[in-house]
Amino acid sequence: MKKYLYVVKTQIIKSLTYEFNVYGNIVMQTIIMITSAYFWRALYQGRGMVGDVDADSMLTYVVMSSLLSVLLITNVERRIQMSVEKGTVATDLMKPINIFGVYFAEDIGNITALLFQNVLPILLIGSLMIKIPVIADIRDLSLFVISAFVSFLINWLIAALFGMIAFSAVNINALIQVKKHLLRLLSGSIIPIWFFPAGISKILESLPFVYIYQLPLSIYIGRGDRTQYLSQMRIQFVWLVILLGAFFFAQSRVTRKVLVQGG
Amino acid sequence: MRKACRELIHYLDVTVHMFKMAVMTVIEYPSNIAGWLISNPLQFIMGFAIIKFVVESFGEINGWNYGQLAFLYGLSVISHALSMIFFVQGWFMGYYVMEGDFDRYLTRPLGVMYQFFFTNINIVGITDLIPGVLVFIYGCVKSGVTVNLLFIVQIIVTLIGATLIRGGIYILLGSTSFHTRSAVDFGQYTQEIMDKTTMYPMSMYPESMQFILTYLIPIGWISFYPAASFLGINSRYAGMMIPFITLAVGVLVMLAAGAYFNMGLRKYESAGN
Repeated sequence: MKKYLYVVKTQIIKSLTYEFNVYGNIVMQTIIMITSAYFWRALYQGRGMVGDVDADSMLTYVVMSSLLSVLLITNVERRIQMSVEKGTVATDLMKPINIFGVYFAEDIGNITALLFQNVLPILLIGSLMIKIPVIADIRDLSLFVISAFVSFLINWLIAALFGMIAFSAVNINALIQVKKHLLRLLSGSIIPIWFFPAGISKILESLPFVYIYQLPLSIYIGRGDRTQYLSQMRIQFVWLVILLGAFFFAQSRVTRKVLVQGG
Repeated sequence: MRKACRELIHYLDVTVHMFKMAVMTVIEYPSNIAGWLISNPLQFIMGFAIIKFVVESFGEINGWNYGQLAFLYGLSVISHALSMIFFVQGWFMGYYVMEGDFDRYLTRPLGVMYQFFFTNINIVGITDLIPGVLVFIYGCVKSGVTVNLLFIVQIIVTLIGATLIRGGIYILLGSTSFHTRSAVDFGQYTQEIMDKTTMYPMSMYPESMQFILTYLIPIGWISFYPAASFLGINSRYAGMMIPFITLAVGVLVMLAAGAYFNMGLRKYESAGN
């Protein structure tokens, strides 16, 4: 455990070295957030409730989605690909530390740094320029935090599983893009899937993607009630278990493959 | 004059070879091609579907109906695809700067900017082109524009201009890496901003933002003004000349980008060995 904490610490320090990245990210994410806010304002102009949500809640959704997207940045797929492509994977696996644990710790470190570098500034800018994102019902705060944490894990596991494809395909740039698009469009991060036709949103609700963005955000803006949240969180949890199982299975497969081939 | 001609022919010759090499590099990873073939069309089909869902939930967007939005979307995706083929490297320039990859280009007897963009020509961008063209044809049919020779010429001019605008913006953003020596993944962000500003009518945004998108960051010329004038929708600028203005804007942005790139490159040199 101590070893991993050390990785987290190093990663935080690493993230702090590139100052420009921080400003660049903040500027870009702010532009995206404000554009989205105008986008929804224009759509809602002269309309009350659309899809059980009013314009005001939608703006909260936009701000919170921007914040959540910062916390859901993963680097694990790129790291795996790099180590496979450069061939360092064999020696990485020989180290007396679980390499996937290291990747996880790195992502945690990265996000910890981002929490102060990006989340706080974006929250501030969003509150000033769009609206203060107040939670609809304060009693649901704990549910929001738990579901957001589970969505972080689901998101990381999906990224890691995609990354492991690199062990057999070597170059997975395209697949990383596939994943990105799937996530962007099917998770409700940009357009919530309650605007989709009923049939399609039913199908999407059985996939893990909506539980990454839309579930915690719905809880935050109060679309639905407690029983709905809890039943959805149950599905979210089932997905977490399935993905964890898949992750450990895939991990043992790929490690064996590399070791058998004599790294 | 003859010397210039010979140089141009040399560059063209090199380009042909680079193109062949690019095709071969792509074929090297079969699973990757499969990935791109699924990923890119999927992205645009889903994006297009989402526009349909939005229209169904909210009705017309700022007076643009579904067919007209398809036209706008198609136009935007085609220029996006073309810019992906030729200029996607701008997105990753930071990584090249950080890893010192420009050293290699500097030692060769060809223009650095030319080498940077053409050694890395991105053939898979064609997979973006197909859905773009399909949606565009659908949009043409749905919105009932008259297709004649003039229209085709105007569309081609628009697309060249739009591709140059996009490419220029990527290069401008990428070239900041020369000064900052770090890599921000601008690609994702610019893509997201451009999605919202070129695939939906720009007139839905407030005046101040429209002003910025028209004059400062000329994204509006990529698809909004051309589409509005083709479809005869009222907008700040309309008329037959719009495609040519787009082209002119594209050339200007590209020139600015080239100048900024070269400025950055000088800085890179002096920082090197």
